[in-house]
Amino acid sequence: MKALRTVLRLFLAEKRLMLALAFTLAALTGLAGVALLSLSGWFITATALAGLSSATALAFDVFAPSAGIRFLALFRTAGRYGERVISHDATLAVLAGMRELLFRSFARSRAARALERNPARLLFRLTLDVDALDGLYLRLIVPVGVALISALTALLALSFIDGATGIATGLFLIIGGFGVALMAAMRAEKQARLRAAALEALRSRVIDLVSGATDLLMAGRLGERRADVLAADSRLAEADDRLNRVETFAGFALAALAPMAGGILLVALAILVSRGTIGAPGAAFALLLVLAAAEPFTALKRVAVEAGRILAAAKRIAPQVEAEDDVVPPAPPPSDLAIRLENVTARHPGAARASLTAASLSIKQGETVALIGPSGAGKSTLLALIAHEIALDAGRLESLDASLLTQRAELFADTLAGNLRLAKPDATEDELWHVLTMAGLAETARALPDGLATWLGEGGAGLSGGERRRLSLARLLLHDAPILLLDEPTEALDQKTASDIMERLEAIKGQKTLLIATHAAREALIAERVFILVNGQFAGDYRRGDEGFDAAIATLRDA
Amino acid sequence: MSKPETIDTKPVAAKRLPGPGRAAVSLTVLAPLMWLPQAGLAAHAIGLLADGAPVSAVLPLAAGFTLFGLLRAALDAVSGRLAFKAARAELSARRAAALTSLSARSPVDITRPSSGEAASALAEQSEMLTPWLSRYVPAKAKAMIVPFVVAAATLPFSWIAALALLITAPVIPLFMALVGMKAQKASEKQLARMSDVNSYLMDRLRGLRTIRTLGAVDATAKRLRHEAEDLKRRTMAVLRIAFLTSATLELFSALGVALTAVYIGFHLLGFIDIGTWGTKLSLSQGLFVLMIAPSFFEPLRELSAVWHDRAAGEAALKSLEKMTERGTDLPQGAGAFVNPLEDAVQVDNLTYTHPGRETPVLEGFNLTVKAGERIAISAPSGAGKSTLLSLLAGLATQDVGQVLLFGTSAADARDAGSIAWVGQNAHIFSGSMAANVALGRADAPVADALHVARLEAVAETHGKAPLGEGGRGLSGGEVVRLAIARAAANPWARLIIADEPTAHLDAATAELVTESLLELAKDRTLIVATHDAALLACMDRVVTLIAAPENAT
Repeated sequence: MKALRTVLRLFLAEKRLMLALAFTLAALTGLAGVALLSLSGWFITATALAGLSSATALAFDVFAPSAGIRFLALFRTAGRYGERVISHDATLAVLAGMRELLFRSFARSRAARALERNPARLLFRLTLDVDALDGLYLRLIVPVGVALISALTALLALSFIDGATGIATGLFLIIGGFGVALMAAMRAEKQARLRAAALEALRSRVIDLVSGATDLLMAGRLGERRADVLAADSRLAEADDRLNRVETFAGFALAALAPMAGGILLVALAILVSRGTIGAPGAAFALLLVLAAAEPFTALKRVAVEAGRILAAAKRIAPQVEAEDDVVPPAPPPSDLAIRLENVTARHPGAARASLTAASLSIKQGETVALIGPSGAGKSTLLALIAHEIALDAGRLESLDASLLTQRAELFADTLAGNLRLAKPDATEDELWHVLTMAGLAETARALPDGLATWLGEGGAGLSGGERRRLSLARLLLHDAPILLLDEPTEALDQKTASDIMERLEAIKGQKTLLIATHAAREALIAERVFILVNGQFAGDYRRGDEGFDAAIATLRDA
Repeated sequence: MSKPETIDTKPVAAKRLPGPGRAAVSLTVLAPLMWLPQAGLAAHAIGLLADGAPVSAVLPLAAGFTLFGLLRAALDAVSGRLAFKAARAELSARRAAALTSLSARSPVDITRPSSGEAASALAEQSEMLTPWLSRYVPAKAKAMIVPFVVAAATLPFSWIAALALLITAPVIPLFMALVGMKAQKASEKQLARMSDVNSYLMDRLRGLRTIRTLGAVDATAKRLRHEAEDLKRRTMAVLRIAFLTSATLELFSALGVALTAVYIGFHLLGFIDIGTWGTKLSLSQGLFVLMIAPSFFEPLRELSAVWHDRAAGEAALKSLEKMTERGTDLPQGAGAFVNPLEDAVQVDNLTYTHPGRETPVLEGFNLTVKAGERIAISAPSGAGKSTLLSLLAGLATQDVGQVLLFGTSAADARDAGSIAWVGQNAHIFSGSMAANVALGRADAPVADALHVARLEAVAETHGKAPLGEGGRGLSGGEVVRLAIARAAANPWARLIIADEPTAHLDAATAELVTESLLELAKDRTLIVATHDAALLACMDRVVTLIAAPENAT
């Protein structure tokens, strides 16, 4: 329930007035439908009785009720249309706000790291959850409210005829209808959770089967893995089946409400008529009123299943929304230093072993430093720490603002300019061309059909690997952080592009502090200082000209 | 924004689908018709009350009203279950068929669907098949039959009321078609746009690390909001039209009830005489006609509510059918036994052309490798190194010539577990390091394998935690060593095939990889494709492939 409240807060952060208005219209429209049918029933019965003699027939006021009937018919149509327009308008606005809030929640370090590690799975899960939550208002709140209001109306209206009958019928609808719906929603929630898990398993197993086909085939496990996918589908089918059973049962119980209420009410009305409390027109009015008021309850079977899905999604999303950022940006170091570490111990989240232990170093502003060491020595951990992506376990870290160029050059579905302006939203076109020139991409950009306005697909589709790397370098140069952290900046680039990029990095030497984690001599060669990291500790710190410097560079791959 | 996927609206293949079954459909149609006796009994009861009949006369009518109502609920429940079961079984069958053909295809086949395509086709997209088959199809059957039965039930009492209903019947689809054509486009547009905003969100979340490091979280959040609001504005413009479809239906059903009521009222008062068969309607008859009027429109409303299930269902079917297309198949083994005394590899006059290409990548190639030999294959890129390894590993079938491993076909050697593979990009499965080594082989010596690959410390660091997607959190060297561990977990392997195991690695890591590869190859045959001088030096023999002229780079 707490989860639902969190999500509800997320949902109802704004546009409450619009949502309330839409809700009122929805309720009024529902009532108009109820009134239309019951008034018509009364009218026919009353006219039939009046029509028995021509005197009463002529005295019968036909115009007020028939005008009322026509008015209700038109009002119902107009109301329904207005309600839909207003509620969709408000809902879309709310969904826009919700997406912004969700993005901000997921941009906090803890969630961001989890996403970084398992993007496909988590984004898929998030897509499902967001889709479920989108329906909170239109598919849950509105139908429940409409059912409640029409039952209450039946209760009130009948109470005028006979108090006990009205209350009994109203309560029967409310308790029976919502009781069934609530039970179904609770059972559906568990199945919705199982279903989401099974769908996720199915998806990731298909990916494993297709991407890992060679590995599986050579291990003689392809057939078993295919069976695993089918097993996931069986689990999914089972959850689907249970959900359908819940829906079917709820549907049966809810559909039984109207005939049961109607049958008993008929007898009660017969008694009331025989006592002379009401006439036949009143009985027709009451019967049709209750039958129409029970109508919205049949829609609750889908609502109940939907509620289970929404609840399950809320439970998964709420912790992310509430989680606090666990990394504090580091304080700046004293005097002319850019980075200072004292006895720092840190690990990658989830790792059992620390990848940096009691490491100390200081780097001056404007220095260009290469960070070398075998894979797994802790280079990436150190960069992530300075970029304040992860928190330290022990020790002290001080650093100026730093931005990180990762091996996966992340570009977005946006224009070329939009991708660059991520680093500096108010950058002028001149500034953009300047950094593009510095990164060696200006000519390519000029040759593009729309220049800076060229649309780049997801992940920078439309550019080659080298061009993508250059673009993210240009973006990094546009960012005003005094420290650039580069994680193997030319990895997997051909020699020509790589040396060109290194030349361009060399050109900004001294203007910014550069820390380059590398395995390649071509990347380390622009440095004037080299740190050697082995097993999470610094095993060497040499400056250009030292004997150790050349020896350290010599251990690197020369490609 | 990306172009919305155009949905082909041609009704695909509905005929090829087994529907929810005749029984389910007939029950579906029967259920709403139960309202006719219900309305008749209720109307008769009110008529009796008006005539001053005793309570006891109403009792059986009330009981009948309830019973028919319960029968209707039961019919709905049973037909719903039947339709669901048939639809869900169809989904499972289609998924299984897609999986069978996906896993029968050679990993070398470049036309094979990507893992992302396959995943969304088999998982979320195909989910839409069930609602289409289980809801849309029965709803359509209802809409085609129920209104006419209701009109026919009205006819004996009032031909004018029946006529009014029947006139609206063709008018409604016409109106709906007019508005609906716009609405269809509008809803498709809206779907595409909505998925645009979602993909914007997902795209930005995917690159969160970059956004965070550039301090652009706030700007991106605002931009996301802006995009979503822009979408809202554009969507509402079209939604206003779309809602007219349902408003049309609403209007007809509301006016249908209202006009029927007013007409019958005036008739009962004696102001209108036409429309009945000469006699004046009784109260019960009038009430009956009124009560069944809404059920004329109900099936149409239901159909319009599930309208969008059709487009989504047809799209799902199409993408599933795409997954069942066949391409280059994996070679099948014949069940022959390997003979350890034969040469490890005997290749005669091998020729292979990639599907869709004109010139062969390998032509008239011969090679003999004795058991226990360690050979390197060296070649410029594009000369067919990887293709040769794939043919040796039984991943594809040669066009011409013969490949024998230990005296049997590559596919048989593969099936017998005689080949172990150390690929360039080992796939990281969802699961722990140990599970990634064992790959579900129950008897795999995982500890030994980790030892051979020098991965014990790494495995300990990661513990039982699942590895990150695509090897996130593992270095390039660790991924190669994981591939070696996988190979080492197969104690029956006689031939090790490795594809550029030391490419892109630093010297120290490359040395480590070479060491463990050689340990893995002890008492076995090793074929390794490589440029690495240090690795080449450890081999007994180097075979150099010359690039076919058109492939040379």
